[in-house]
Amino acid sequence: MRAMRAMWMRLRGLASGRRSDGEFDAEIAAHIALHTDDGVRAGLSEAKARRRALIRLGGVEQTRQAQRERRTLPWLETFLQDVRFGARVLVKSPGFTVTAALTLALGIGATTAIYSVVKAVLLAPLPYKDPGSLVAVWTANPARGDQPLPSTPGDFAVWKQRSGVFEDLAPSYDSEVTLTGQGSPQFLLGYAVSANFLRILGVAPQLGRLYTDQDDAAGGAKVALLSDHLWRTRFGADAGIVGRAITLDGNSYTVLGVMPRAFNYPANVEIWTPSAMAPSASEDFDNSYVRTLGRLRPGVSIVQAQRTLNALETQVAAAHAKTDSGNRVMLVPLREQLDGDIRKPLLILMGAVVFVLLIACANTAGLALARNAERQKEIAVRMALGATRPRLLRQFATESVLLAALGGAAGMALAAAGTHTLLGLFPNDVANLNIPQVTQIPIDRGVLLFAFAITMLTTFLFATVPVLNAMRTGTGSAMKQSVRGGTASRWSSRSRSEIVICEVSLSLILLTAAGLLVASFQRVVSAGLGFNPDRVLSLEVFLPRDRYPSEDGAKRRLFVAETLRRLNALPGVKSAAATNFLPLSGFWGTTGFLLRGQATPKNGEAPEADNRIITPEYLSTMEIPVLRGRGFTDADREGSLHVALINETMAKTYFKDKDPVGEALNLGSAEKPDWWQIAGVTGDVKAFGQDQPTHADIYRPFDQIPFPLIAFTIRTANDAGAMTRTAEQAMWNIDPVLPVMKAITMNLLTAQTLAVRRASSTLIASFAALALVLACVGIYGVMAYAVSRRTREIGVRMALGAKRADVLRMMLGAGFRLAAIGIAIGLAGALAASRLLTSMMFEMSAFNPAIFALAAAVLGTTAVLASYLPARRAASVDPMQALRTE
Amino acid sequence: MGGKTDVWQGTLALMVLRTLETMGSLHGYGLARRIEQTSGDLLELNYGTLYPALLKLEQEGYIRSKWGVSENNRRAKYYELTKAGHLQVKKAAEDWEQATAILARFLSPAEEA
Repeated sequence: MRAMRAMWMRLRGLASGRRSDGEFDAEIAAHIALHTDDGVRAGLSEAKARRRALIRLGGVEQTRQAQRERRTLPWLETFLQDVRFGARVLVKSPGFTVTAALTLALGIGATTAIYSVVKAVLLAPLPYKDPGSLVAVWTANPARGDQPLPSTPGDFAVWKQRSGVFEDLAPSYDSEVTLTGQGSPQFLLGYAVSANFLRILGVAPQLGRLYTDQDDAAGGAKVALLSDHLWRTRFGADAGIVGRAITLDGNSYTVLGVMPRAFNYPANVEIWTPSAMAPSASEDFDNSYVRTLGRLRPGVSIVQAQRTLNALETQVAAAHAKTDSGNRVMLVPLREQLDGDIRKPLLILMGAVVFVLLIACANTAGLALARNAERQKEIAVRMALGATRPRLLRQFATESVLLAALGGAAGMALAAAGTHTLLGLFPNDVANLNIPQVTQIPIDRGVLLFAFAITMLTTFLFATVPVLNAMRTGTGSAMKQSVRGGTASRWSSRSRSEIVICEVSLSLILLTAAGLLVASFQRVVSAGLGFNPDRVLSLEVFLPRDRYPSEDGAKRRLFVAETLRRLNALPGVKSAAATNFLPLSGFWGTTGFLLRGQATPKNGEAPEADNRIITPEYLSTMEIPVLRGRGFTDADREGSLHVALINETMAKTYFKDKDPVGEALNLGSAEKPDWWQIAGVTGDVKAFGQDQPTHADIYRPFDQIPFPLIAFTIRTANDAGAMTRTAEQAMWNIDPVLPVMKAITMNLLTAQTLAVRRASSTLIASFAALALVLACVGIYGVMAYAVSRRTREIGVRMALGAKRADVLRMMLGAGFRLAAIGIAIGLAGALAASRLLTSMMFEMSAFNPAIFALAAAVLGTTAVLASYLPARRAASVDPMQALRTE
Repeated sequence: MGGKTDVWQGTLALMVLRTLETMGSLHGYGLARRIEQTSGDLLELNYGTLYPALLKLEQEGYIRSKWGVSENNRRAKYYELTKAGHLQVKKAAEDWEQATAILARFLSPAEEA
């Protein structure tokens, strides 16, 4: 307590320095006067009395010093002195200070921002029991694009019973439902999951209970679990919700519980119901709809499990050749499953940002090294005047800390702004991307500290090396060396060269990677979608089974026809149409088909095409061209000849040079054919994004096959987004309780599809630009320093007959040599790095000589330019002046 | 030092406090003289060391100072105890007495072994 008070008073003493000095001088004067008075009274002469008083005091100056040390905090005072001095030095050379601080800020800021995102997205712990052994199990088949797809209940049953690698395996399938009787009707993303599915994840509800295996039996109780989000938004977080009845698709379900807020698997699901798999389902090898979650047995690796399952699947395929031939089982760790499309770009960005940090370190190191080497003379003078080594070191350290503090503060601000911007990478309502939901990204303190520490350490190290150097060589020789001004010491010139080479090679790797990604992005953007997304609004709805049963196609037709009529009548609407799976929406379905005369293939490799159902105006509304034959008309209706359109990809793949128009497709089976005559060929549509392969498409008229999933597409005269409310109202005039799943303009949907690619290419391009600027500054600094060190040498050379051009060539050559070595190393690194980028390339190879050459040329030019200014300064040296300097 | 003793570490503060307690308010020189007199001139004080000690006590809040005029009309800084200072004298004196009593037991001739 008292010690605290004393410390506080001493801190205050720092502020009142001069005033207190004066007051104490007065007190000492009084003391001496009083003592002298006593002496005089005792009979001494004035002078003698005064002399005695001074001796007894122990010296005025010593007393004053002791008093000052007690009054303030001496170490703090020295520190403040250093800070003041350091600040003055930094202010005196603003070029160095701003460059170094900015470099540090960029390094610290970029690293922190990106790592914070990586941590929030890829490294955040999953809220499940032992998530490391959780896997999603998919079936891939070359006939179906070799993509991980849902499996059949038959396969699932075999894996569960016979594989032996799983502790537990659980089925699930999507089951969208419409919630009614709770305000306006709402379409809910639902999942039917088995009871053990939730047990495998190891989650407990925040309210109520999970369902049991009895609840989950076929024909079991109609029960449901709500998501925290649904519970809050629809049920007002009603604590008494458990046991209440709710209406889903017209059926009554009992709410069993509410899941915790953090539980979000599968992503965005609002309601979980029992899967209620019938025992007979284990005989079903035809319908692929089961999404499987498993927990591996302890000690079983994912590779082992994959091998075992594929061996098993080969046996299954032997027994069920028709359906399972060619099947491959794919195990995906849950972590990767959740990270989805964002994982790779983030890791690449993380790599890029580490490079930026390294370059920033190299840059400040080079700057500090060059700068403090210039100060060897200053150091020598100060040592000659009695400064001790620790004192000098402390002063230089303080300077580094000051610089790092400046850079760190700016870096922190940058990181905060950066994470905020990066949050835009995660548009949470994007259905067509598989990325985890992240609503906020806290700045990671650990990495902030790390980046700060590492940059500070390099700055400090390279700032003190010349100081130590000067100290070791001793006062005299340092002064002499500096005065004589010979060439730079070998050690410092070698480390400077190494720094430049490092910077050049790192920058080149970044520049190449950026070039590849940006070129790919440009290709993607310019690839075109196959339809015109401008001024098109889409409304997605799902006709609930209870009110629009599949037997009652007429009701569905009436709804669509009436809605389209109303939409077309709206002012500002050019045309309106409908389809089942909206391009880019992330929803799609396929249908198998047979050509005339083609028997059902023995293996399961019946060709498949995307199942697209449209109203007649759809092609014209979306501006999808009809290449051959005709589009649909109102005459293609229920009861008339079944007609279909195919896209160009399908025509090329299955009809080669033959004209498909007039041919027929069997969408049933060989035994029960279902013939559709091909009326025309349409242009290709990039339904999954510009960077995804086009599938074969079969279009059929809605009137002939009224599908319950409907996306209205409305081309407007002006702003499509502004029409949303009006369009919804028009539809609600026909069916006032039909929920809109999603209303979005096609332009926005397109932008969202490209979001991750755009963000990663923009970011890496900015990192590369950053690296280029940093490298440029670094090279300039080092070269400028070299010139200033060699001024005398240049003077001598010129005095001995060297021409200005020779000097210019010599200095440029020195810069170019370093750049060339750096470029050679960098190209090798870029070649290695480009292999990591292969999967992110679009219609181009990651080994792209043009981009490699361009990057090398840009960097070489930058290096030469950066050394040109200092070289010109060297060439303009006046030999007489140079010999006289210092 | 010929029969005179240096001031032991840490005891100067107690001497200052105790002297101020009995004398009321004193200036630095007066305080130094008074301490020497009280010690029966056995202590020889380096007057310069008194001032940092006074400053420390003031920073700790045991004494306060103000400028005044001495009996022979010199302006000088006078020190006096604060309320906390009065309490501290008592406490420090007790601590000191206890310490000397303990030490005395060691230094007195051993009566029983």
